[in-house]
Amino acid sequence: MPLVVKTRSFLRNLFSMRRKEADLDQEVRSHLELLTEENIRGGMRPEDARREAQMEVGGVEQVKEQVREIQIGNWIRTLISDCRYGLRTLWKSPGFAAVAILTLALGIGANTAIFSVVYAVLLKPLPYANPNQLFNVFQAKPQDGDPVDGWSYKNFEELLEQDQVFGGLAGNQHHQLTMTGHGEPTVVNTSVVTPQLFSVFDEKPLKGRTFFPQDGQQGAQPVVVLSENLWRGYFGADPSIIGSSINLDMRPFTVIGVMPAAFRFPLLTASEQVWIPLVQDPLFGPWMNRRLGHWLTVTGRLKPGVSRKQAQAELDAISVRLAKEFPEANQGWTIGMTPLQQDITGNAKAPLLVLLGAVGLVLLIACANIANLLLTRATSRSKEIAVRATFGAGRARIIRQLLAETAVLGLLGGVAGIALAYWGVQGLSSLLPASLPRVNAIRVDGLVLGFALLLSAIASCAFGLAPALFAANSDLQASLREGGGRSGESRNRRRVRSFLAAGEIVLAMVLLVAAGLLLRSFSKLTSVRPGFDAQHIVKADISLPQFQYSKPQQWIAFADEFLARLQAQAGMQDSAVAVPRPIADACATLQFDIVGAPALSAGASRTADFESVSPNYFHVMEIPLLSGRLFDPRDVMSAPAVTVISKELARRYFPNQDPLGKQLFFGFAYDKGVAREIVGVVGDVRDEGLGQNPGPMMYVPFDQLPLWGANLVVKSSMSVGGVATAIREQVQAIDKDLPVTDVAKMPDIIDTSVAQPRFRTFLLGLFAAMALVLAATGIFGVISYSVSRRTNEIGVRVALGASRGTILRMILRETLALAFVGLAVGLPCALVASHLVGHLLFDVSANDPATLAGVALTLGVVAALAGYLPARRAMRVDPIVALRYE
Amino acid sequence: MKAEPTTLLQGTLDLLILRSLVAGEKHGLGISRRIQQITSGTFVVKPGSLFPALHRMEEEGWISSLWGDSENNRRAKYYRLTKAGTKQLEAETARWGRISWAIAQALEAS
Repeated sequence: MPLVVKTRSFLRNLFSMRRKEADLDQEVRSHLELLTEENIRGGMRPEDARREAQMEVGGVEQVKEQVREIQIGNWIRTLISDCRYGLRTLWKSPGFAAVAILTLALGIGANTAIFSVVYAVLLKPLPYANPNQLFNVFQAKPQDGDPVDGWSYKNFEELLEQDQVFGGLAGNQHHQLTMTGHGEPTVVNTSVVTPQLFSVFDEKPLKGRTFFPQDGQQGAQPVVVLSENLWRGYFGADPSIIGSSINLDMRPFTVIGVMPAAFRFPLLTASEQVWIPLVQDPLFGPWMNRRLGHWLTVTGRLKPGVSRKQAQAELDAISVRLAKEFPEANQGWTIGMTPLQQDITGNAKAPLLVLLGAVGLVLLIACANIANLLLTRATSRSKEIAVRATFGAGRARIIRQLLAETAVLGLLGGVAGIALAYWGVQGLSSLLPASLPRVNAIRVDGLVLGFALLLSAIASCAFGLAPALFAANSDLQASLREGGGRSGESRNRRRVRSFLAAGEIVLAMVLLVAAGLLLRSFSKLTSVRPGFDAQHIVKADISLPQFQYSKPQQWIAFADEFLARLQAQAGMQDSAVAVPRPIADACATLQFDIVGAPALSAGASRTADFESVSPNYFHVMEIPLLSGRLFDPRDVMSAPAVTVISKELARRYFPNQDPLGKQLFFGFAYDKGVAREIVGVVGDVRDEGLGQNPGPMMYVPFDQLPLWGANLVVKSSMSVGGVATAIREQVQAIDKDLPVTDVAKMPDIIDTSVAQPRFRTFLLGLFAAMALVLAATGIFGVISYSVSRRTNEIGVRVALGASRGTILRMILRETLALAFVGLAVGLPCALVASHLVGHLLFDVSANDPATLAGVALTLGVVAALAGYLPARRAMRVDPIVALRYE
Repeated sequence: MKAEPTTLLQGTLDLLILRSLVAGEKHGLGISRRIQQITSGTFVVKPGSLFPALHRMEEEGWISSLWGDSENNRRAKYYRLTKAGTKQLEAETARWGRISWAIAQALEAS
């Protein structure tokens, strides 16, 4: 009860201060009147009565002040009045305020925006129940450099049976199926899962049910679970959807449930998707009875109370048993686990942390700049502060007041920064690469706001404390005698100022070097030749329903007819089918053997990226023939089996030999036991991505060894839309239920493939530019202040005959000394930083001398410019004017 | 040991103010005069200590205030005991009784 009363009083004191003040004033005055009246009644003359009353009261203002002092929350009033005073002083020097607030806003805004990305991508717990219990459980082969891989279904079954530490384990795979029966045929993201999936994630459906164990059995009825967004977007939120039937790849599935939109698995795909039991999948279903292969991703939830160490020990034991029981599939394989969160965000972590570090440095530079400005101000306010001190303000009181001023500054800067961050996050989200995990979770929310406010508080302390301490420590007599100070400034303070300016150069150098390296790396990355000519190439995907088109012969028949029709169209002659296409599709890396070559040692293998192409593929993509011949239309099933290899495959596996005429065996199910003769060698292609060196590749004629699907490349001078229409017309002339998707220009695909490096290069470049500008203003501030302090010294020098050149040199020397110190300290720091970004670089060394020299030169020139402007002012000093002011 | 007498005095002043309000609501001067009267002039409470005490006690919730007209039709702020104030008065009275008894004992013993 008393607490409630006190709180109420506190709030009243705080929020109805003005009314309370008026009330108090009236109360004391009425007391005075009453006293006066009493005295008159007692027989005094009115003027005596009033005087007597006033003496008894002892001063209306004093009484009011005494009352105020006991009021709850009085300290807030002091704080408010300090802040108000701070605001007033800021208001009186709008130039300073604008520069300081803008600087701080930039620093805090950039930090907040980047933090919002880091938080959403790296820190925010995954949107599942108890996400820290979720792990990705994988098989890995340490002797092959530890490539992490999935499971075969048979091995997964073994894991399920033997495991004691996981409360649940679920296998999953993801691809796309064609959905028909409801309007336009469409391609839908499909998660192919074992029935445990939803219980592992502990998620309940929005409608209907999820999978029962029997849904995963061979021979079960095909069932499907829809995502809420698909249900709303594609089925108009049809309430009677449960129990109805949809067609996936031409096969009816019964809808049994709808998952709420909040449940996303996998996290990275679009929110419109379906889940089907693995056993029903046309692609992976047939693989369930195989023990070889590693294609199933397994996610598990640890039992509560089981440590990661215990779990790993258990997995180790299982992997030993697996290797003993099924050596052909498991010899050399281990089992590992990583937290699901780490698994999802792994690749994004390092670049984001680099960006966060970079933006932190920008804020540091901003703080150094503001500290410098404040020091300058404190020097010119030293008289005011000295006067306060003489009138009895204690050191703590002065520091408190100055800190309150900087807190006001910090708060204003923070608010402006948050506004900038809002805007920045919107800008960022259009820039963010789609491949960055959890991009959709990025927003300025409460936590991010809290971060921004905390940051501005820390920043205010950082830039406010030193100047406040200096100001409070200043020598009273000296300050008063100097009369606001003209010529002398304490050595200490000047040293701190130079230290701050040099520090800014150091930090700017670190950022510029990192940004310069990324920039060079990015320009090398984008100018690298992918090995084919992407100009005018358009790609399109045609998915063949796997139930209807289940045999390779059907794929060939479709591709042949389709290509023949398409090539008959004007402007579409140069079209080819290729699966998988370089950069646009995921590579298919396969093992192969060379006929007649000695057997490899155990565990070693020959691998190459595999591509099945129609005859004119090389012509369309302009991949050069180096020797032998390309495919021609006669290379069909009945003709001798042939292959074309890349230069790199020839170099690696046929050193100093002519590969033509040699034969290869592919480790590929449809092609088991077929010896393929090498008929040609073509140029290398960076099929994995621009940043990866071209690996060995082998091509086979689509008509001999097709892969499912008809992935198309067309070289045409027509617009993308025109090409898309032409393709659709020809596809639908063959089969009206086939969707044509992902029609895009190849240069755009390549562009997207470097979206992540572009993103970090752009941002780091932006931060480095900010750092450069801030450091330049910092130097400018220090030098121009030093010039104005030394005006009469310069006047004396000019009067004694110093030429303008001498003066200019004198000031520039001061500037360059600062810059030199900054660069000398900055160089080793920059080298440390450049090694931190080293792994993000392509074809550029972390201590690239050109970048280092370029950055040093840039900083030197910018520093000289920043010093030149005040130096010019110094040159124009009129000795008469300067000396008169002494 | 400066705090002891202050708290004692403060307690005394609170007790006296609360006591003076038992007979009904009063304005500041009224309270001051009533205290003077009931202590036979021993305590004269000056505005400099009266008003801070009144405001503090109001914030504690022991007394409440309202504006009214004085006997000569002047606006004045009146204070009255609240329920919590009555309770506080009882507590203070008991405490004061103990203290004065103890001090009387101390003075008699020797």
